[in-house]
Amino acid sequence: MDAKDILGLPKNSITQEKKSRPQKDSQRKPDGISREVYALTGGFPPLIPAIEASQLKKRPPSDEKITWQWLPFTNSARKDNLHLYHWVRIVNGVPPTGDYSFAKYNKSVDIVKYTDEEYEKYLTDPMWTKEETDQLFELCQSFDLRFIVIADRFPSSRTVEELKDRYYSVARAMLAARAPSPGDISGHPLVKEPYNVSQETERKRALSMVLSQTKQQERKDAEVLAEAKRITESRMVARGAEESELPVPSNAGPESAERAAIPSDTVSPSANVQHPSAAVAPSTITVDNASILASLRMLRVYLRTYALDQMVQAASSSAGLRTIKRVEQTLQELGVNLKPRVPTKAVCAEHLELRREILTLLNLQKQLQYKEAEGSSYRDGSYGDTPGTPKHLSHGGDQDRIFVPDMNFAGERIGKRDQKRKAPGRLSEAPLPAHKRPRKLKAADL
Amino acid sequence: MINSSSSKQVGQDQQATSEPRSPRPKIKMVKSEESDKRILNKKLKDVEISIPIVYGNVSFWLGKKASEYQSHKWTVYVRGATNEDIGVVIKRVVFQLHSSFKNPTRVVESPPFELSEAGWGEFEIAITLYFHIDLCDKPLTLYHHLKLYPEDESGPMSSKKPVVAECFDEIAFPEPSEGFLVRVQNHPAVNVPRLPTGFTLPPPELFVVPFEDANRKKRGDTKDHPLSQWFMNFSEADELLQLAAARQQVQAYLAKLRRQISMIDGQHQQLKTISDS
Repeated sequence: MDAKDILGLPKNSITQEKKSRPQKDSQRKPDGISREVYALTGGFPPLIPAIEASQLKKRPPSDEKITWQWLPFTNSARKDNLHLYHWVRIVNGVPPTGDYSFAKYNKSVDIVKYTDEEYEKYLTDPMWTKEETDQLFELCQSFDLRFIVIADRFPSSRTVEELKDRYYSVARAMLAARAPSPGDISGHPLVKEPYNVSQETERKRALSMVLSQTKQQERKDAEVLAEAKRITESRMVARGAEESELPVPSNAGPESAERAAIPSDTVSPSANVQHPSAAVAPSTITVDNASILASLRMLRVYLRTYALDQMVQAASSSAGLRTIKRVEQTLQELGVNLKPRVPTKAVCAEHLELRREILTLLNLQKQLQYKEAEGSSYRDGSYGDTPGTPKHLSHGGDQDRIFVPDMNFAGERIGKRDQKRKAPGRLSEAPLPAHKRPRKLKAADL
Repeated sequence: MINSSSSKQVGQDQQATSEPRSPRPKIKMVKSEESDKRILNKKLKDVEISIPIVYGNVSFWLGKKASEYQSHKWTVYVRGATNEDIGVVIKRVVFQLHSSFKNPTRVVESPPFELSEAGWGEFEIAITLYFHIDLCDKPLTLYHHLKLYPEDESGPMSSKKPVVAECFDEIAFPEPSEGFLVRVQNHPAVNVPRLPTGFTLPPPELFVVPFEDANRKKRGDTKDHPLSQWFMNFSEADELLQLAAARQQVQAYLAKLRRQISMIDGQHQQLKTISDS
């Protein structure tokens, strides 16, 4: 790097270009299979090569004599001793030994088996007859505990959850009955986490509700969740260890939207450019405020500064980080403490209102800038000479500071504090000249 | 609203004062204790009482007597903002000091809620306020950074003039119980808002005073506190004035912006009609 600096040449850029190109080529060129086929697999070399590309080409070993024979075979996985035939690859006249290669895949679940005595002793249940239980277990055995299938084939109509519940409670009871001591089985998953019918039914119902939600419902839910999250956060800060559980959407679904009683129309996230932003802002502010006030009332005691913080956060939640910084900058320019020195109820209320007004101010300013930009595009199209707008736009830098500090007409106290500063107090006059020019233009044209 | 159960004992007539500081013997309710409990516990909504407090520290440099580990003598405290007695609300205060102090958890059972110590370092002190049980059973914690050294490091340290760091805040109780409200109705340390119209509080005789009140003999207000000459002044009026002036400015500018915007809108309309024609 130093050598490059000394030479003063951008040496690396050229070599970098050359390096990048060959790298790309090697990535694209697959070996052994055509590019299109390679692309089907995702176009990237696999992490672990499944089949060696080289192996695909050179297969036939010259020293081995391969023939194929039509031979019978049996499957140890079958119980009926069925003899079938298939082609077998014979190497040097020696047929392969061993079981049918797919027999090892015949896995099944170990179903609990009970005798009639055991049934009488441990497994009787008012809701289930022995017949039904036996049927259930037969099906479980044949279908490997695939309860959906079992439920379909079960003679009497029982829900999947009921069947599961019966099976697992029987299994658990048998386990407990057969275990030498309760300690032995305490680690068994059947004992540690028993099947909870009501929970399962509820969970599945909720899932199906979520699945069948319309897009509008989804939107509503998201909004309610955001509100609820904000409330929980403010409550959690107050309560510390205590956690308040809110209705999770999968459990409540559409019910929570009604329960929360927050009009979804006002909390619409879409920012309509046509309407002045001030109209949208107050409605969201009132919603936030109401929730903050409600959460504050939940606390039995709170500090005024804490309440103010919450409200300020809520008010600036709709604004971006830059806007928040600008609000704070404006506050400082006005000579107001970012955190009031005497935070009484009245002072906090005034402070909050001031912040809101500044937010509105910033929004309006932005609006004005947009409109002027629009205006200049109009004029650039239809009029040639537009003295007004470009000069106005060039004042953009000045507009970042709305209030130059040292406002003399804000009171002597502020003036006293800023005596050391050099700039005299005056309100930024930038908007005014442009204010006048368009008027002149109009008059001239008419 | 309140079932003023008149089936009270005669003994109550003796304590007909609403002055919370005068020692009152514990009233024994023989009958209808249940309803009294209900009255005591009845919470009032929309009546938020607030207690303005100031908490902080005053620290004196020990000057010649300063040693390496004890260079300053400081006092951390919580007081009423107007120096009134906050013992009517706060039962006790626990100051949690830095772990290098012996017995860093200091409990102060009665006002004035203060703690004096000597040391050399600045650290954060956790001040936990415990309120009277009938008011609130949850404590509230404030944090104060102990300030020993003056901001202006250049000046010479004087052992006569202390370094003071105070912070103003208000403790708000959104739903105080009726019993408590009656007790503090006229207390100077507590801000009680105007009660909703047509609402009257039951007479104070119905309520049991927490027993601790009777024992407190020494005064709890800090009006004549030895450190009171150093206490800072927190004027709500100043801040309100400042805020009002700022708001005025902002509103004026807002009005101007709105005029500009409507003007430009008018222009755009004109341009549109001109270009359309």
